[in-house]
Formats: sequence, structure tokens, C-alpha cells
Amino acid sequence: MDKQAIERLVIDAQSLGRKTLPEPDAKEILRLSGVPVPRSQVAKDLSGAIEMAAKIGYPLALKVVSPDIVHKSDVGGVALGIRNAKELEEKWAEMVLTVADESATSMIEGFLVEEMAPKGAEVIIGAVRDEQFGPLIMFGIGGVAVELMKDVSFRLGPLSKKEAIGMMTEVKGFALLTGYRGDTFKDIEAVAEIILMVSNIMEEVDALKELEINPLLVYERGVMAVDARAVLK
Amino acid sequence: MVKKSIEFFFDPKSVAVVGASEAPGKLSSVIIDSLISSGFPGRVVPVNPKYSSVRGLKCFPSVSEIENGVDLAVYALPSARTPEALRDSAGKTRGAVIVSGGFGETGEAGKGLEREIKDIAKETGIRVIGPNCMGIYDAISRLDTFFIPRTRISRPVAGGLSIISQSGSFAITAMDELAGEGIGVARVVSYGNKADVNEADCLRFLAEDEHTKAVAVYIEAISDGRAFIEAASFCASKKPVFAIKVGKRGAGALSALSHTGAIAGNYEAYRAAFRKSGVIELDGYEEFIAACKAFGSGSGASGPRVIIITDGGGMGVSLADACVEAGLEVPPLSEDLKERVQDGLPSYFSIGNPIDLTGSVTDEMYADALEKTLSDDSFDIAIVAALWGPPGLTDELPSLISERSLAIKKPVLVCSPGGAFTRSKSELFRRSGFPVFQTPEAAVKAASILARASASRRGG
Repeated sequence: MDKQAIERLVIDAQSLGRKTLPEPDAKEILRLSGVPVPRSQVAKDLSGAIEMAAKIGYPLALKVVSPDIVHKSDVGGVALGIRNAKELEEKWAEMVLTVADESATSMIEGFLVEEMAPKGAEVIIGAVRDEQFGPLIMFGIGGVAVELMKDVSFRLGPLSKKEAIGMMTEVKGFALLTGYRGDTFKDIEAVAEIILMVSNIMEEVDALKELEINPLLVYERGVMAVDARAVLK
Repeated sequence: MVKKSIEFFFDPKSVAVVGASEAPGKLSSVIIDSLISSGFPGRVVPVNPKYSSVRGLKCFPSVSEIENGVDLAVYALPSARTPEALRDSAGKTRGAVIVSGGFGETGEAGKGLEREIKDIAKETGIRVIGPNCMGIYDAISRLDTFFIPRTRISRPVAGGLSIISQSGSFAITAMDELAGEGIGVARVVSYGNKADVNEADCLRFLAEDEHTKAVAVYIEAISDGRAFIEAASFCASKKPVFAIKVGKRGAGALSALSHTGAIAGNYEAYRAAFRKSGVIELDGYEEFIAACKAFGSGSGASGPRVIIITDGGGMGVSLADACVEAGLEVPPLSEDLKERVQDGLPSYFSIGNPIDLTGSVTDEMYADALEKTLSDDSFDIAIVAALWGPPGLTDELPSLISERSLAIKKPVLVCSPGGAFTRSKSELFRRSGFPVFQTPEAAVKAASILARASASRRGG
């Protein structure tokens, strides 16, 4: 984990008066800590986006980057599975209009052009810093309904690997990772590693108040953090 | 400065009562009563400039004027006068119990007084319990600083359970109930606002206290979470520790900027802290009392496998249902064991788990079935659901099953629902050292807590 680089990133954000980090920065913290994230770049205009897309390769995801937007998909700020430059152009135009419409006062910093990760099982790994006890780590079955289902478990950091595994086996949806109804057995080891990394980031980087990966896509081999957010103290 | 251990609070040779008065009903007057009636063997020293003697005991104008000082001073003064009295005790007492309210729990003025108390504790090295507390009831050293008369709140006999509580009323209510249940205690500490001594100090002391076999904790709020985890882990590595945390609401939404923040309330942190320390979490008062009864009666369990023995089939099945619901196991008897239990019993008895000894039961049948099954390696806990209808049961039943099961060193919980006659018999079970529960659910809660304690010892 590159603690110095992470701290620089956090200090920069603080000097801009930011309370939350936009998705690319939150993912950069993850990448610097060893969490696999999709290849991506932030584009300021369409021609830049098309250029980046050519480098990253299709299919792609396009996401709005704004410190003011908490739930991107709620304001039309996410387009997935873009197959070519023509579609990228269409989605870009559409997104600019919809986001401006739905979230008029938000400051838009650009659009994230990102490698489209293959489908996998979705889990959430999050952390909040409790005033009395320090980092509290959460694991759960991910997706947008996580607050509704609350199929989650908690442990206080710093975590041992045994605790990380315990967090996974404790949730009802654990079966979804272990071959439920003919599905494949997922990479539990890799998920445990990510839980430990999130715990470790919270221990090391005191300025982080919350950190969350949702979803972390889990495959037969490996994982990918496709969305993340970070809240500063 | 390294803080001194609080061990000396639990074996004082002399106790001053500051603000002592003859007036009946005054806190200080009740405290002197408590000290005298508990049979406290040390010296009781009243302190009050208004009197030369209280209750025939020589009264001193101030703690500073007690020659040779005291080990402990209890302060029952208006809050505004307490800091001065505490400062005056410097060098004359090792410990202070401040029972008075009117400190941090009240407002700005009270908070200021509490800060003063903290500062004086630091300057003088006097360790302070309270303010706004009951202090200590110690059945081992017979120290009793509680300002509630024994006619209102009974004191439990000496035993192996220690209780630490932020709330005084919770501590005394639990004590009163345990006294009625025949459950003994070692140390009970009500530490109130914890200006100095807090739950971590108490847990470190109780961890190494040979009289304490299990620790019950009542928590409202912890200020230094990591210090708590360290002390609680240390204590739980030596003996069972179980805790209730009240004020669970106020969940989540510290900021709704992440899903985690929206779901994670402060209680999730407490629950995770208990888990990390190996402390058994209890969900309410009923479980708290059930746990006190289960651990206060002796043997711990080494697993979750329950044998149920009854003379009422319905009660047996109801217990078995509650066990499974609570995550306990109710395994069937092995063929060999079944044969041994069946031996000497009428063939129409239903020997399974539960074992139904029917209305034809006798004292001897109960004792025999219990001894054979509980001594078998396949069971960790027994629940004896004795219904007193059958004419074959006599007043000898409790002592007989105690005699035959004591050496097995596994917990036996008695579930004895019923009315006036049954309740009068429950007293016989208590006298024989059994925890008695009025409902199947309460008995199963106790069994489940014992099983959780064994799982937590094994690091589950």
C-alpha cells in the first residue's frame, strides 16, 4: 500500500474543502492499496473521451464525476455496456442533458470512461470510523438494495483473516458466493483479502471517515471494485 | 502517573462516611446502616463538623483530622461541597466513593464540578468511584456503601458472580432479584459518571480477582473504546464476561453519504466490540438476569447439547422447540444410553430427548435419568422441567438430584412453571443450588448463554 500517495490525494482534496472524494479518487485510493479496479480515465470533453475509449477498448462504462452527486444512477449519471464510438457519442450527449436536468446545481468535473467489468456476484465492503471504537468494517451482499435488505455483518478493525472470513459466512446471502442453485463457486479468498485491505486503509489513513466499495464484483477467480466512495473527516 | 489498581477498594480496613448524620433517611445515615448491618469488620468513621459522635461512633470534623487516615472515604455531600472535601482528604485516604448526584449528568455547573473532581483525583492520587453512583457492595469483604436500606433491596449472599454497572438502579434491582433467587455475588460496583474509575479498571481488577468466577456488565456508554476492548479481552480470556448495552437506538445516518454510514449505527460498534473481546452480548434485562442465574450457580457448559428431562410431555416438547429456536442442539440418545436409561423404568415411558418420565415419576427416576444422561459425553447441559403434579415426587427431589448430579460438573437448569404450590417447591431447588426458571423460554435463554460462552471461549 502506497500510504504517502494516498495521503497526498487526501490532503489535496481537503485543501479544496472537499468532504467526499469523487469516484475516480476513491478508486485511486483502492488501487494504491492493491485493490483491483477497472482501467479508467476522466474526460473533460467528448473528443477526449473518444480518444481514451480507443486506448481502453470497448465495451465501456461512462459515469458522471461530481462531488455533489451521491447516487449517480439516480440522476442518469451512469451508462453501461457502450460498444463503440457512435454509442459513446450518443450516451455522452444524453447524459450531459439528463444530469443537467436532474441535478442542475451539481458541479460536474468530467466523465469517467471506464473499462466495462464482466458480470459477477455483487458484494459491498464498507467502513465507518466510530468515535469510541475506531474503524467499523461492514460486509454484505451488495447492490442498490443493500439498505433495504441489511444482510450485512460488522467487525471492529484491525481485522484478522479469520474475522474477515467470519464476516462473510455470517450473512444469509453467503450462499450466493458458494454455488447457489448451480452457480459457480466464487473467489472467497480474494474477497477476504479486500476486506482486510479496507480495514488496513482505515487504520493507516486517519483522515478517512468512511470508505465503501459497492459493488465489489466477485468472480470465480479474482474480484473488481467497480464503484467506490470515500468520506473525509 | 501510572494509575494505581483499584484492588484496595475491595478490602478496606477502615471507611469514613463524609457528611455523616444521625437524621434517619439521609443518604449518609443509610450508608452507615448498610456498613453496620452487612457485618463490615473494619472501622467505620463518621465525618461531620457538626457532631462529636454519630451512632455512638467518634465523629471527626474532616477527613484530614483522622489520625492515620482511612482506606476508603464515602462522600454523601451536596455536589458543590464535594471537591473541597475531597481535596481535604489528600494523603488521608486511598479511595473515594462519591455517591452524590449533581455533577456531569446535570448541566454546565455540574460538569465543571466533575472536572474539578477529575483534577483533584489526578493531583492527589486518590482513586475515585462515581460521582452519581451507589459504590460497592462486596459480599466477600462485606463492604456495603449502597444508600438503599436492606428492607427495600435485599443483598445477595456471597458467591462467584461480580456485577459492574453504570446505573445504580439497575445494579440494585438485579441484586435484589438475585438475592431472591439464592444466587450469590462477589463484587458489585456501581460506578455512575466514572470521573476516574471506569469499566476498564473494574474489568482488569475482576480478571485477576480469585473470588470472581463470572462478570456481568451493564453499559450505557463507553468513552475509550479501545481501552475497553483491551480490558474486556483480558478479563474474558480468564472467565465468562457478559454484557448488556442500553440505548441501542439512534442508528445510522451519521451521514447518508455511504450505504455503510446509513446502516452502521453506534450499537453495531458496541456489538462488534463485545465480539472482538469475547464478551457475550445480552439483549435485555430478562437475559441479563438469566445469565446471572446461569453463571451464578456454578458450572459452565462446554457445548450446546441439551438433555431435557421432564414429567410433562408438553413442557418437554415446548422446551425442545425453544432450544432449537435459540440455536441449541437437542440430540437423540444413543442406543446404548437409551437402554441404560430405560433399565428399571416402565416400558411405556418415552425415552428420547426430551425424556418424559410421565405422571408415574418418582424422585429416584429423575435422579437416575439425570445422572445417566448428563454424565454421558453426548450432553453439555441439562434442563430439568419438574412439574409437581405427580404424587411420586417429594420434597427430597431437589436434594436427591443435586447429590447425584453435582460431581458431573455440568450445568443443570431447573424449569418449574406453575402456581403457588410449585413456587413454594422452587425454593427447595434454590436451596440445593439450582437456578430456577418459571418459563421454558427463560430456562432456554440461560442455556443458550452458557453455550454461547463456551463457543466464545473456543473462539467461535
